[in-house]
Amino acid sequence: MLITKAILTTRFCLQFSKLLNFLALCSQAVKKFPFYRSLSRWLALSLASFVVACTPTGPQEPAGLNSRYTDEQPALSGDGRYLAFVSNREGSRNILLYDLKSRQYVNLPLLNRRDAIADSPSISNTARYIVYIASDQGRPEVELYDRVTRSIQVLTRGYNGWVRNPSISPDGRYIVFETGRRGQWDIEVIDRGPEIELDRLDGV
Amino acid sequence: MQFKIINRFFYLGAIVLSGTLSSCSVYPRILNFPYDPGGRSLNSPAGDINPQISGRYIVFGSDREGRQDIYLYDNQDRRLIDLPGINALDTIASHPAVSQDGNYIVFCGSREGRTDIYLYNRPTRQLRNLTESLKAEVRNPTISADGNTISFEAGAQGQWNIMVIDRTGNGLNIPDVLR
Repeated sequence: MLITKAILTTRFCLQFSKLLNFLALCSQAVKKFPFYRSLSRWLALSLASFVVACTPTGPQEPAGLNSRYTDEQPALSGDGRYLAFVSNREGSRNILLYDLKSRQYVNLPLLNRRDAIADSPSISNTARYIVYIASDQGRPEVELYDRVTRSIQVLTRGYNGWVRNPSISPDGRYIVFETGRRGQWDIEVIDRGPEIELDRLDGV
Repeated sequence: MQFKIINRFFYLGAIVLSGTLSSCSVYPRILNFPYDPGGRSLNSPAGDINPQISGRYIVFGSDREGRQDIYLYDNQDRRLIDLPGINALDTIASHPAVSQDGNYIVFCGSREGRTDIYLYNRPTRQLRNLTESLKAEVRNPTISADGNTISFEAGAQGQWNIMVIDRTGNGLNIPDVLR
């Protein structure tokens, strides 16, 4: 894998140097005809932006699902495409989202924080909503992460009792979790209401 | 004069009352599910654990019958659904998950000192051991809402790793270990 990466980068470097040579030639030509100088500037700028935008990162190699650290608590999306789980890799305990179709990890900006442990993930139909347990203010709370708006909502703020093991319905409207409110484990259901955007499989 | 003041207070009270009443319908809110001491509902005097919701179904584990079994609750009809053949006297069942149509339930079953992942087919009432040939400790199974993909943890490599299989028990083609 390292070798292929190295080959790719050298190839890219070679192409880039060729491009630079070409640009230098162009600039020499342009010097002879100052009339075209302003135009060439624009051309160079647009070319540069093109190069930046199209910088090849190499064909995305499939990422492995497991690591040599503990990977646990799997949760599947409704269509079976996404897999959320908890991993101890990278020196911290985080929730990761893996795309089983493209075999790549999906970024979850703002979800994993350094000062909180996230646990017990569960995901909706297309993994738009992720519910999990996080120690928000030193107390475990059921939280909901929206991958589209990149926002986190604490669903059990002000709730009396210990909470554990949340699970979200495929459409994202209902969440069940365990509660210790009556001195034993019971099941409680949260309704997010009719106003929310449901996570439908057809994307409508 | 006094009457007018009382009247004003009445209106004020009415406004406050209506305000608090309408704020009660704010979402997200906790739904009230029936609690039955006889064990015929979602919650019972026994421990009810590991709930998983999929569409109209909530599947969970409970020791309400004096042993740890799997139960399926219908959200819409608000009743427990019979699962003939899923719970055995010699098996500790835990960590269930159900597909959206309620036809497939996966769970962890511990029998004769060995823990395996079982798939229950509700229409045919058949129970299938998905990890019979796997020489590893397994736990925490889950099934996708469409019922086609199953994932669980296996300790085959000396640590917990995640395995993904289809409903027939075949492994999905996923690059495994990244070292």
